[in-house]
Amino acid sequence: MKSNQAKIFAVLGGVCALAMAVSVWYSVRFNGGRLVEPMDFSSYAFRPQDLPMILSLSALTLYILCLAGWCLRAAFDTRRRAEAAHTTRALNPKLGFLGLFGFLGFGAFWTYPRDGSIFPVVFFVFFGFFGFFYEGKMSNTLMDERYQENKQKASARADALALRLILIFTVILSQGRFLGSMERALVVYLGLVCLTLALDLFLGEYLLYRYDHDELTGESEG
Amino acid sequence: MPEFECRLKTFRQQKGLTQEQLAALVGVRRETIMRLEKAQYNPSLKLAVDLSRAVGAPIEEIFIFE
Repeated sequence: MKSNQAKIFAVLGGVCALAMAVSVWYSVRFNGGRLVEPMDFSSYAFRPQDLPMILSLSALTLYILCLAGWCLRAAFDTRRRAEAAHTTRALNPKLGFLGLFGFLGFGAFWTYPRDGSIFPVVFFVFFGFFGFFYEGKMSNTLMDERYQENKQKASARADALALRLILIFTVILSQGRFLGSMERALVVYLGLVCLTLALDLFLGEYLLYRYDHDELTGESEG
Repeated sequence: MPEFECRLKTFRQQKGLTQEQLAALVGVRRETIMRLEKAQYNPSLKLAVDLSRAVGAPIEEIFIFE
């Protein structure tokens, strides 16, 4: 995404957020909180006072869809450029800190007993983003045959380990009696599968880096 | 990986090429040339042919399999 397009999206995002804030204020102040507070939509009847909220919701939805479209297009363009250049994509190793978002997964310990929701568990997958640290270190690397071979070897080892772990977790947790209830066992299972996927993502990049750099230190031009 | 002896370094030096120059000639990284010279990497047939042409020596003289 070009910088001027990014600025346009940032301004549009600000406008949408402002419109939403004003609409929510209007609805709460003058419309009894309709379309803000939870309501029964089976008996919904349109009122002209609902219009600000409907318009701002539509604008926000449209904005999110456009933003997602632009992000997807930018991602495809980056990948296409990298493939055409036969080099790995340029990535800042500091993006590895995105892996810290994985700790949000522990939020499930708070949400599950409270309202039974387990979605934060999925955040465990974000631990895999620690792999960006190693991918960033290999930015703009020429993808020659040894690189391709190492990449396949690293992916195969990471995938094989992940599959074995998932199989082990499935066998153990499908006993049901492991945690006293099948529901809890399934929640733990989801968490373990997400952690395993994170491990798969991380190991793919880590092993590739190790294969590429091991035993090369201290060598000089002969 | 089968054990083999690689004499690429000798032929490269005879040709007066650096690892970097040879890597650029055959389209690989310098690290790959390093590994090849230490017989730590078994190249594809295509790379072996490219190396053979670049250093002007037959494949069987560059890579000697025991």
